[in-house]
Amino acid sequence: MSETRQERKPEEFTGREYEAGFVTDIETDTLPPGLNEDVIRHISAKKEEPEWLLNWRLEAFRHWQTMQEPHWAHVNYPPIDYQAISYYSAPKSQKDGPKSLDEVDPKLLETYAKLGIPLREQEFLAGVAVDAVFDSVSVATTFKGKLKDAGVIFCPISEAVREYPELVQQYLGTVVPTGDNFYAALNSAVFTDGSFVYIPKGVRCPMELSTYFRINALNTGQFERTLIIADEGSYVSYLEGCTAPQRDENQLHAAVVELVALDDARIKYSTVQNWYPGDENGVGGIYNFVTKRADCRGARSRVSWTQVETGSAITWKYPSCILRGDDSVGEFYSVALTKMRQEADTGTKMIHIGKNTRSTIVSKGISAGFGQQSYRGLVRIGKSAEGARNYTQCDSLLIGENCGAHTFPYVEVKNPTATMEHEATTSKIGEDQLFYCQSRGISEEDAVNMIVNGFCKDVFNELPMEFAVEANRLMEVSLEGAVG
Amino acid sequence: MSGSLQTLRQQAWQAFEEKGLPTTRDEDWKYTDLSRIQTLLGEQWWQPAGTGAVAIDMVELPGLDAWRMVFNNGYFDPARSELPPGVTITSLASLMQDEPAKVVDLLAYQPDAPLSSGLTAANSALAADGACICIPANTRLDQPLYLLHLNSGGTAHLRTGIELGPHAELEVIEHFHGQHSEAGLTNSVTAIRLAAGARCTHYRLQLEAAKQCHSGRVEVSQKADSSYQLHAVELGGMLSRCDVISRLDERGASCELGGLFVATGRQHIDHHTRIEHNAPYCSSRESYRSVLDGRSHGVFNGKIVVAKGAIKTDSAQNNANLLLSPDAAVDTKPELEIYHDDVKCAHGVTVGQLDKNQLFYLKSRGIAEEEAKQLLTVAFADEQLARMNNHSIRRFIERAAFAKLPSITDLEGMLV
Repeated sequence: MSETRQERKPEEFTGREYEAGFVTDIETDTLPPGLNEDVIRHISAKKEEPEWLLNWRLEAFRHWQTMQEPHWAHVNYPPIDYQAISYYSAPKSQKDGPKSLDEVDPKLLETYAKLGIPLREQEFLAGVAVDAVFDSVSVATTFKGKLKDAGVIFCPISEAVREYPELVQQYLGTVVPTGDNFYAALNSAVFTDGSFVYIPKGVRCPMELSTYFRINALNTGQFERTLIIADEGSYVSYLEGCTAPQRDENQLHAAVVELVALDDARIKYSTVQNWYPGDENGVGGIYNFVTKRADCRGARSRVSWTQVETGSAITWKYPSCILRGDDSVGEFYSVALTKMRQEADTGTKMIHIGKNTRSTIVSKGISAGFGQQSYRGLVRIGKSAEGARNYTQCDSLLIGENCGAHTFPYVEVKNPTATMEHEATTSKIGEDQLFYCQSRGISEEDAVNMIVNGFCKDVFNELPMEFAVEANRLMEVSLEGAVG
Repeated sequence: MSGSLQTLRQQAWQAFEEKGLPTTRDEDWKYTDLSRIQTLLGEQWWQPAGTGAVAIDMVELPGLDAWRMVFNNGYFDPARSELPPGVTITSLASLMQDEPAKVVDLLAYQPDAPLSSGLTAANSALAADGACICIPANTRLDQPLYLLHLNSGGTAHLRTGIELGPHAELEVIEHFHGQHSEAGLTNSVTAIRLAAGARCTHYRLQLEAAKQCHSGRVEVSQKADSSYQLHAVELGGMLSRCDVISRLDERGASCELGGLFVATGRQHIDHHTRIEHNAPYCSSRESYRSVLDGRSHGVFNGKIVVAKGAIKTDSAQNNANLLLSPDAAVDTKPELEIYHDDVKCAHGVTVGQLDKNQLFYLKSRGIAEEEAKQLLTVAFADEQLARMNNHSIRRFIERAAFAKLPSITDLEGMLV
């Protein structure tokens, strides 16, 4: 081993440039920047929405205007000018209404290919139906037929509003109300698209549902709205993955995801988030302010959130579970990586209301370079939550002397029969571990990768197979140049 | 009163008038509602009561041999005090009269200090008495120093300053006691400064009367290789809040914070601690336990901040809570804020009731369920008290703590 090789420090390996940074040139139908009631009416009209939804949006907007932008998160970013954002952007080609993949703009397909998401091949190989969201309008939905046979509804939410208005009206905004928080209110007012999933009673969704998000048009905030309803005794696994082209303008992304699980239903929601994190000086990058919440309404229902967060300049999200039904289960598995100037304030909330409800939280944070990362979690065990149980583990791994890792776990217990355990550790990659690996002839970079991999394993194990592979690769790629 | 002291008092008073009492909208006061103080003591709750002229009935801490300073409602009572020779220990009131310049530093109000609130400002503005203790370099008192604060209701603002020279050693006991049935507020601030190599063991025993509110603040700043050990015990009062701030400012300093809450009825006990690792090679240990019965409410917030450059920090924190009644509640938040990678930090929290397996084990050995429960409760709390080296204090606290839990009958038999 050469002298220089030996002297390299782990932090040298975190400087890898963003791989998925390219802009696809597609004409977009974009509204001028600014937000007022006319913009909302315009969005609603474009989407041919019914009256009730327009009123719902307007109500949210009026409420939003009375709200204060929150600043309690442990992150720093310049003030956002909400009037400088364009609230609607749809790829032009959407107007032709592609019915199948063949009709999809070849440039879009090319973009996916560059990202290693061969849409067409997935149809055959992976057995995954992909509802690809390019900016704000869904352009391709596959495997519709097969899902239809099973009775599963999987479509863009704008389509669901037209086709299944009673379902949407019944559930929309019942998990995350319009006035829930600043960004949820904004989303409710201006959301342009997203996915809608309904799994009927007793149906096990025959395949994993997947949406790939991309933010593309310059200066366009992306406001996705996802609603998943798992009726009694059903099961669904939903994958969400994101990458974005490289660009200097900060982009706001304020999505809302609502999950409803009825009696004995199970929802598994997995996310790989790899949006543009900004350059090494903290210029550019996505602001990811997301509200994700699951309502375990039914008895014995079960929701599990798994997330791998490596992108975005600022991440601010807390996928949560309201454990209302007796014996319901909530799970949260997370790996978050912050490097360069990235900041993340993420965690979960587990609200125990029903009897014998259980929740598990495993959070792994890796901070490198100048990255700042916070775990913020709430475990609330209400008075009615007889026999509730929670286990929380949050570990942080620090790489380099300029990064930070913070933990803010809130624990509120109002029932003596509850059992709650919380553990957290923070440390750097052990010099002795590195030395051991290197003495066995493993290069420093590989050794660091191995250690990080081992650190994340508990979470990666929860990911569906294809995603686990992708996540592993993502970690390696992200840490290259940052570590060993 | 000297000019600068007067300015300080005025500034603090202004700050207090601006700030008022913190509300539950304040993140640091989210779980503790101080409006109760106003309800109990009225709009003029801050108005100090009495002059300490009336001596309050003494309490005995059996077996404790110590130098003592006794305070009546916040005022020094020299007649019942006994001070060691050779070290400077005076009351704040007399120091204010003789050398007011010396007091300015001690009473200073820093609005930006962590966890400082309107109560701290009120203390700076209104504290009339307290203890000023100065132990010179390489000195060790032959006996502990016992600060007994007797209260009989009404409001008292106290300020205590403790300064240890290089390699000095001190064991200090702050004991807040009341047996009256009046409403009252104790607002105490204790500032401790440890020079290089100094060692301080601090017992803080809160056994106020049932309708007394208690607000405490302990601020410790530590130089190289100094060590500080806190044993906080919260048994009395209806609403008690204590902020403990420990700053490890120089290499090799260490601190150990321990706390035990035993609450019943409608008691509300809240401890916020903050340990700042500002220098390399410092270590901290923290362990808090609470036993909550009746409709009581326990709050614990432990924050550990590791500054950039504080390499080889070693920190561990633990908080365990035992809920004995369906109406008891606990809110706990162990926080870590870390800005350097070469550190080792861990924390853990548990909340629950008595372990069913342990209960079953004892029952299978022929011990009645009630007795088994008592045994396990005592064992849980005693694990915290076992860290106390002063046997007399430990015994005193054990008796006072377990007497609160009505089901415990044969206490003497259980104590080792």
